[in-house]
Amino acid sequence: MEEIRIGVYICWCGSNIAQLIDVKFIAGEIKKLENVIISRDYKYMCSDPGQETLIADIKQNKLNRIVVAACSPRIHEPTFRKALEKAGLNPYMFQMANIREQDSWVHIDKEYATLKAVALVKAAVSRVKHHEPLNKKSVEVNSATMVIGGGITGLTSALEIAQAGKQVYLIEKSDSLGGITAKIDLTYPDLKSAGQMIRPKISQVQNHNLIEVFLNTILEDISGYVGNFSTKVRRNGTSEEITFGNIIVATGLKPFSPVTIPEYKYKVLPDVITSIELEKMLQDGTVKTSDGSKPDNIAIIHCVGSRNEQYHPYCSRTCCSTALKYANQLRSLLPDAHLFDIYADMRAYGKGCEEFYTNTSNKNIMFLMYDQKNGLPEIRKANSSDNAGMIITFSEKLSGENIEVPVDLVILMTAVEAHEDAKEVARLTGISLCGNDFYIEKHPKLDPVATTTDGVYIAGTCQGPKGIDESIVQAKAAAAKVLSMIAMGSIEIEVAVSHVNEEVCCGCQTCIMVCPYKAISFDEEKNVSVVNEALCKGCGTCGSTCPTGAIKSLHFTDIQILSQIEGLLKTESETI
Amino acid sequence: MTFEPTIVSFLCNWCSYTGADLAGTSRIPYSPNLRTIRIMCSGRIEPTFVMKAFREGADGVLMCGCHPGDCHYHEGNYKCLRRYHLLQKYIVQMGIEKERMRLEWISASEGKQFAALADEFTETIKKLGPSKIKKVMETLT
Repeated sequence: MEEIRIGVYICWCGSNIAQLIDVKFIAGEIKKLENVIISRDYKYMCSDPGQETLIADIKQNKLNRIVVAACSPRIHEPTFRKALEKAGLNPYMFQMANIREQDSWVHIDKEYATLKAVALVKAAVSRVKHHEPLNKKSVEVNSATMVIGGGITGLTSALEIAQAGKQVYLIEKSDSLGGITAKIDLTYPDLKSAGQMIRPKISQVQNHNLIEVFLNTILEDISGYVGNFSTKVRRNGTSEEITFGNIIVATGLKPFSPVTIPEYKYKVLPDVITSIELEKMLQDGTVKTSDGSKPDNIAIIHCVGSRNEQYHPYCSRTCCSTALKYANQLRSLLPDAHLFDIYADMRAYGKGCEEFYTNTSNKNIMFLMYDQKNGLPEIRKANSSDNAGMIITFSEKLSGENIEVPVDLVILMTAVEAHEDAKEVARLTGISLCGNDFYIEKHPKLDPVATTTDGVYIAGTCQGPKGIDESIVQAKAAAAKVLSMIAMGSIEIEVAVSHVNEEVCCGCQTCIMVCPYKAISFDEEKNVSVVNEALCKGCGTCGSTCPTGAIKSLHFTDIQILSQIEGLLKTESETI
Repeated sequence: MTFEPTIVSFLCNWCSYTGADLAGTSRIPYSPNLRTIRIMCSGRIEPTFVMKAFREGADGVLMCGCHPGDCHYHEGNYKCLRRYHLLQKYIVQMGIEKERMRLEWISASEGKQFAALADEFTETIKKLGPSKIKKVMETLT
């Protein structure tokens, strides 16, 4: 057997690791271990010079195993695997120790953090000795794409891909395309017609010969892997199967219903309406109260269900600028009306929006501030002597006074929230959810439209509240990711799958029962289980169930994990 | 000197390990006693791994997977749960207190919960004191 020669690299990550963890001490401790030829610390291992050092060391010192102690393997494992490949080593002869996210960033005591890091690195060294080279597998990419959601984001992605000459299946659960954008009158801050933007997009999609639109359609199940997915879709009671290589999830979000907020008496008082209900009036061109009269006093209340632990802790992002848009539209429609904008904080973020706020504030609109900590504004029905339909009472923050505002119409700037079926779509596509049921991207900055499932991308408001402009940016980014994958034609997939040792397999078929992917079948002739590598996703459940130890979960083998445990615990007596 | 236990944690790649990473990116401090081994799915946790950890001197073993219904591999966490119940009976027979082993569900967004769990489990193990099993094993072999 070839002599094991390990190179170990302890990253400072600037000061992220080095300020709490004694990197030089670790490098010194690790140098003492058997088979460790090189043990260094370096400022940024992921940088080009960092990787070049690693590559040069592999070549000069005939290293055949590498350990990098740095950030989470979920971030830079692919980076270092590529570096190994460049140096001519199999990328799987590598192990990372996470001493940043799971050490220096979460501990306070320098000594303990350093000792923990030593243990983690020793475990990695102990594991990497048992690593085996694995060959990547190349599969062809099906050039069709499934886009889920027919709102502005899904439409944009579908068009981008179809215009590049590739087939798109656009799945929409409702009976029409356009989503929320089709329900709004004007956009902000430019006050342009949303309809004039969305309608041509809808007809382009409907008339494109490379886009097949599925309305009133639900997904029953998705199987396969990057480049080769298939799904069963059900519409009008019939089920059909489609195959595609990539998925863009653009399922959007929905407005929050303010019925649960007692202070606002939504659905109790008929002239308390939501922003989306006002949009309908604006599209129709008339703003009226429930009895058909012209409102003299109108209030817009911000942060309805947003930034409040009781409802939604997050900011819904678009409501402040939308409220300013309403102030402008109402001022034009009703030049003599008294307009009150009751806000918690004015968050008119983004290009042109602060200017939009400044312009709006010159249009004879009364801006009043409230603080959610001091309770929400309360709406009540007015007395007949009040000369208005309702009264809003609240503590005005800037003046410090409790004030009463007489109003005939109240517009609630409702929060937005994830769809009820967001979880189901996440389960089908293998996406993770954040605490508020929005989808989590692979990396918020480095890979914002990818997800942890290869071949599945997210775009638009299913990822979090955002405006039309930002949704379109993501729609185009996701389409570009998909098109680049289609252009490559083939993709290398994970080979850390399960493998059956036919000599040891007793033919009990327990593995077949536990496999969630039906990836294992039984060879009656040989009386052994057989793994279909294309279907296996490498969860390892069969490996831990096999009574004879015949199944090996590649890259997570028993000996690799047991050695890692040993390495993790051997350190105690030696260092403390 | 106060007793600082060593705890081995097995975290699934998709939910729990990502949740632990989130505790890091959110800079939520917790006790440094946990030493993590990443596996792809909690369904991969073999009873042997847990026994090995105790044998090598772990004072506690924590296993974390995705919440029921959220498993990246559909149902690996249920497989883990079934084994956990059996394993709990087994370790008691071996003379290991059942409180030394825990299975919890941590999602990718539960950094805060992960940190709280790490602290709480560390406290539990501190109260139990050092595990005797390693010494027993040494005398036997």
